[in-house]
Amino acid sequence: MEVEINGARILATFENVPLLGTVQITQTLAAALLVMVIISALSIWLGSGLKVTGISRKQAAAEMLYTSLVKFVRGNMGVQFDHYIPLVGTIFVTSVVSNLISLLGIWSPTADLMTELAWALVVFVLITYHKIKASGILSYLKGFLDPIFILAPINVMSECFTPVSMACRHFGNILSGTVINALIYAALTAASSALFGVLGSSLAAAVLLALLGAGLILLGRKKQKKLPFVLGILLALLGICAALTNLGADYPWLTIGIPAIPSLYFDWFGGCIQAFIFCTLTTLFIKQAAGD
Amino acid sequence: MDTIYQSLVTVNPVTLIGQICNLFIQLYIFKRFFLDKVKAVLDQRREAADRQIADAEAAKSEALAMKQTYEQNMLQAKAKADDLLRNAQKTAAARSEEMLRQTQQQVSQLKAKASSDIVLEKKKAINDAKNQISDLAVAIAGKVVQRELNEADQSRLIDSFLAELGEDL
Repeated sequence: MEVEINGARILATFENVPLLGTVQITQTLAAALLVMVIISALSIWLGSGLKVTGISRKQAAAEMLYTSLVKFVRGNMGVQFDHYIPLVGTIFVTSVVSNLISLLGIWSPTADLMTELAWALVVFVLITYHKIKASGILSYLKGFLDPIFILAPINVMSECFTPVSMACRHFGNILSGTVINALIYAALTAASSALFGVLGSSLAAAVLLALLGAGLILLGRKKQKKLPFVLGILLALLGICAALTNLGADYPWLTIGIPAIPSLYFDWFGGCIQAFIFCTLTTLFIKQAAGD
Repeated sequence: MDTIYQSLVTVNPVTLIGQICNLFIQLYIFKRFFLDKVKAVLDQRREAADRQIADAEAAKSEALAMKQTYEQNMLQAKAKADDLLRNAQKTAAARSEEMLRQTQQQVSQLKAKASSDIVLEKKKAINDAKNQISDLAVAIAGKVVQRELNEADQSRLIDSFLAELGEDL
C-alpha cells in the first residue's frame, strides 16, 4: 500500500511572466483567500452594531476577544507596543483559521511553508527595524562582529535564521499533523480491508455477530452494567459493517470516526497552540529587539 | 484529468508575495472593522464611567459645601437667638426693677400724703372740737350765769377760756 503526501496542488501555471518567469498559482493562495473572506466576514459581523450599554451576547464575545488580545500583547510587550496589537491579532486569527480549515477538508494554507515564511519575514523586518532604531545603524552593523570579526558570517546566519526557524516551527507542526493523519488513515484503511475481508466472507457469520452484539446490549441494559453494553455496541457495529461489506458496499469502515481522536490533538490543539506560539515569539522578539 | 502537486517543501515566490499582501489586507480589514470598532465602544464606555464618577464627586463636594454653609448659618442663628434671649432677659429685669422702684416711690409718696392728711384732719378735728366746745361753753355759761354780756366781753372771755383749755390740751 502506498501513502502519498504532497504539497499544495498547482491550479494554474503561467509561463514567461515578466520579472517572475514561470508563475504557479497554487491551492494555498485560493485557500488563503477563503480564510480571508471568513475572517473578514467574522470581523465585520462582530464589529457591527456595537453599543455602549445593554450589550448583546455577540458583543460580549467580541469584547472578550479584544480584551484578551490586548492583555496578551501588553503582557508580553508592555503598553508602549500597543500599535502591534492589530498585527499580532491578525497573525493569530489567520493562523488559527488556516489551521482549523483543514477540518472541513480544505487545504490548509499553513501547510505551505510560504505562508508562515511570509508572516515571519514581516516580523523579521520589524525586528530589524527595532534593532536599528534602538542602537543606530552603525552599532547594529558592528554587532555582527561581536565577539570577534571571524564570527561575522555566523552572526549573519543566526540573524537570518530567526524568521526561518519561526516559519519552520509552525509549518513543521502542521505538517506533522497532516502526515500523521495520512498515516493513520492509510493504516486504518488497510486494517479495515483485512478485518472485513475476513468478517464479510459469510453473511451468516456477520448476521450472527450483529445478533450477538444486540443480545449483549440487552443484557447490559438489564443488569445495568457498562462493559457488556459497550462490547455489544462494538460487536453489533462490526456485524452490520461486515454484512454491508458482504452485500457489496466495500468501504473502509474503520476510517469513520476513529481518525477524529488523533485529529483532536494534531488539528485542534496543535493548530491553536502553534498560532499562540508564533504570536508569543513575534511579541517577544520585537520587544527584545527594541531593547527593553 | 491529472493533478499536479508542488513538492512538500518548496519556495514559491508568488505564494510568498501573495501571502505577505494577504497579511496586510487582512490586517487592514481586521483593524478597521473589528479592533477599531470594539476599541471605540470600550473607550466610550470608560469615558461614560469616568464622567459619572466625576459627576458624583462634584455633587458630593457641592453637598458638602452646602452642609458647611448650613451648619454655619445654624451656628449664627443660634448665636443670634442666644443674644436676643439675653437682651430680652436683661431688658425684662431692668424693667421689673424700674417698676418696683416706681411702685415703692408711689407707695412712699402715698404714705407721706396720707400722714400729712392725717395731720390736717387732726388739726381740723381739733379746730372743730374747739369751736363746738367754745359754743357749748358759751351756751352753758349763758345758761349758768344768766348774765348778759356784750359781744366783745363774751369773745374775750371765751378766748381766755380757750387759751386755758388749749394749755391743758
